[in-house]
Order: sequence, then C-alpha cells, then structure tokens
Amino acid sequence: MKPNEEWLDIERIFRLHYTRLAQVIARVVRDPARAEELAVEVCLKWSARRITDAENSERWLYRAAVRSGLNELRHQVRRSRYERVVSFVRGSPTPEELLAARQEQERVRLLLATIKPREAELLVLRSQGFTYEELAAILHLNPASIGTLLSRAQQTFRKEYTRRYGTPRLGSKT
Amino acid sequence: MEPRDLDPKRELNVAEWVDHEMASLGHEEWQPDLHRGLALLRAPSGTTGSRRRWTWAAAAVLATCFSLMAMPGPRAFAERCVSACVSGTGWIRELLAGGASGPTPSNVYVKPGNRTMAPDFALEDASGQPVRLSQLRGNVVLVNFWATWCAPCRVEIPMLLGFEKTYRDRNFKILGIALDDGGWSLVRPYADARNISYPILLGNQGIADLFGLKAVPTTFVIDRQGRIAATHIGLCQKSEYEGDIKAVLNERITP
Repeated sequence: MKPNEEWLDIERIFRLHYTRLAQVIARVVRDPARAEELAVEVCLKWSARRITDAENSERWLYRAAVRSGLNELRHQVRRSRYERVVSFVRGSPTPEELLAARQEQERVRLLLATIKPREAELLVLRSQGFTYEELAAILHLNPASIGTLLSRAQQTFRKEYTRRYGTPRLGSKT
Repeated sequence: MEPRDLDPKRELNVAEWVDHEMASLGHEEWQPDLHRGLALLRAPSGTTGSRRRWTWAAAAVLATCFSLMAMPGPRAFAERCVSACVSGTGWIRELLAGGASGPTPSNVYVKPGNRTMAPDFALEDASGQPVRLSQLRGNVVLVNFWATWCAPCRVEIPMLLGFEKTYRDRNFKILGIALDDGGWSLVRPYADARNISYPILLGNQGIADLFGLKAVPTTFVIDRQGRIAATHIGLCQKSEYEGDIKAVLNERITP
C-alpha cells in the first residue's frame, strides 16, 4: 500500500468499498436508492478531505458511512414526526402507514435514531459484522473497552425499547 | 455481557436480543447497484440531496422576502435598513461596531495647548432661527449629536438636562443636533415630550461629515475659545462627562 495519488484514486476507493459502505448505510436507511446516494456522497467527501493514508482512509470511510446513515435516519424520523402532526390535521393515517409503524424494523430504526449517536454507531457496525478491533479503529475507541461500551449500548437500546414498547420478548417475531 | 453468563433463564439475554433486533433491519444480502453508484460518482452535481434542499430553502426565503417587500410596512423597514447602511451614522453600523449597547464608548480629553478649532456651522433651531456656533464663543458649549432612534442617545438626554441645570449660570450651553432623516416632524414632538430645555438643531449629512462622526451619540465639549476640548463617542458615564465639563469650565482663558 503505497500512499501515492494513484492508489488512493477515488474510483479505486469506490470499487473497493462501495458495496460495504452502501450496506452499512442501508442497514439504517429505509430506502436502498438513498443508501446508494449516501455511499457515493461519503466517497466524494473522502476525496475532498484528501486523506493520503490508505488505512486511515478505510476507517474514515466507514465512520463517515455509519454517521451519514444515522444522520439520514434521524432526519427521516424527524420528518415523519412532522408528517404525523400534519396528518393529524389532515385526517387518519393510511393502512400502509399503520402497518409500517407496527413493524419491528421501524421500531429498531426509531430507537437507533433516539439513542446516543455513539452507541447507535457501535450497534450498527457490530451488526454489520465488524470485529472489536475494527470497531475500535473506526470509531477511535480503546480496543480494550469495546466490550463494555457495546454491552452498555445494548442495555441502552433495551431500556429505550422497554420504555416505548414494553418488555421485549426474544423470538417474538422470527 | 454479564447477563448472558449469569442468569440466562430469568433475565433476557440482552446481547442476543439486540443482535436479533438489529438483524430485523435486513439488507444483509442486498447488493448496491455498482453502475448507478459509479454514474452518481462521476456526475456528482445535482445528486446530492442536501445541496438541492438548500437551494430550495434559499429560493423559498427569497420568494418570501420579495412578497413581503410588496407590503408597505416591511418595505418601509427595508428602506430604513438600506438608508442606515448607506448613510454614515446608521444604527446598523452602530450595532455592528459595538453590539447592542451602541458603539464602544471612548473619551478623549485634549490639553489646552493642543486643541484644534471646532468647525463652525449654522443650523436652524425648532423655531426656524439660525444658530451659529461662533455666536456662542465665550461659553463652554457641549455639542451632542443624537437621533430619536438611538437608544443610548435617549439615555443621555436626562443626563444633559441635569448638566444644563447645574452649570447654567457658569456660561455653559448645550446644543443638541438631531440626525434624524425624518426631520422636525420626528424631532419636535420628541423634544417637546421630554421637555428638552436646551436648543435642538436639525443636523444633516454635511455637519456629520464636518465633525467626522462615526457613531451616535457623539458629544464634543468646546471650550471658551471655540476649540474642541473633549470628544465622547458612545454612551459614557455621567462622571466622565462631568469631569470634562468641570475641567473646561475651570480653565482660564489663555491668550
């Protein structure tokens, strides 16, 4: 890995990481097309940052990806909250909206948008199959404390779930 | 991680449950469309949603501004803003220069030997009589530049009235020069309402330039020979004014 211009060419970076970046973002963003756009934006931002070191680039890319995904999610949640207020004035929600709100996915997305970004980032990346070492590198954390941080994030997630939807049951939806 | 090992039956296995919940998000086997991504990468302009959103927001703000301008109230306000920016002694400049409390106060007292002559001027007072600065030679004259829209100026007025009362019999005169664009129709009712006993003159851009005004309120203390003895910019402490006035009043006329 020599840190020259050619190696860190944006298209090369794109070909190497695009799929995984888009997958990380698609985890939290509802619309796959939007996830693709965001992944491209992350690549473009990377090229604007002119990071010269390949290893740093990789970390930066995944950190940026998970953040942009969660940001988008938070925007969506905020927007839907606004739309709910509007629809209250407008009339009753459509059956599709009701169904969507009941789905487990939507609950998880809402929770991820609600809990601390740091914790949400950990959960998302972890669920994407990154190892503890990778998590530590991407999120600039101490590798030794990843386990603690992750379990704390999980506890937060559960607490927030319980607060909103009642006691969770494992295998309630398989 | 502890709950899993310690008590798997009673307590919910949080880590496993969270993994399960996160898995419900799906998209694990989903593959993004590489060609579409590449196309987006090569033609980035217009694809970025945020930029487009900002453009729309800016357009909406502009449209709102223009439609507001059609109404008389905001239009007058905008005109005032523009005139304030363009003319030398605007309240916007004042705001920019010194925050909400007006310009940063400054006091300059000049020793008798180094003083320069105050520029002479003739302006009309409320009754239409011309008042000339040189007519007041022999008096200590406090020239106060103010305007009805200037909050610190309004604070100063009672202070100035107090000085006039105290030093009236020691050949001390005050001239208030109002710099309102609205003219007497604004200044006269204001002066009447506040019972301003010293003469109020209506100033203009010419006199502001003559004295090199950068902000209002600006106050000059002019000695018995018509020279500028002290300059106060902005709202100053009463004691600062009074100190300068007393010092100038106590001076002997030197040839």
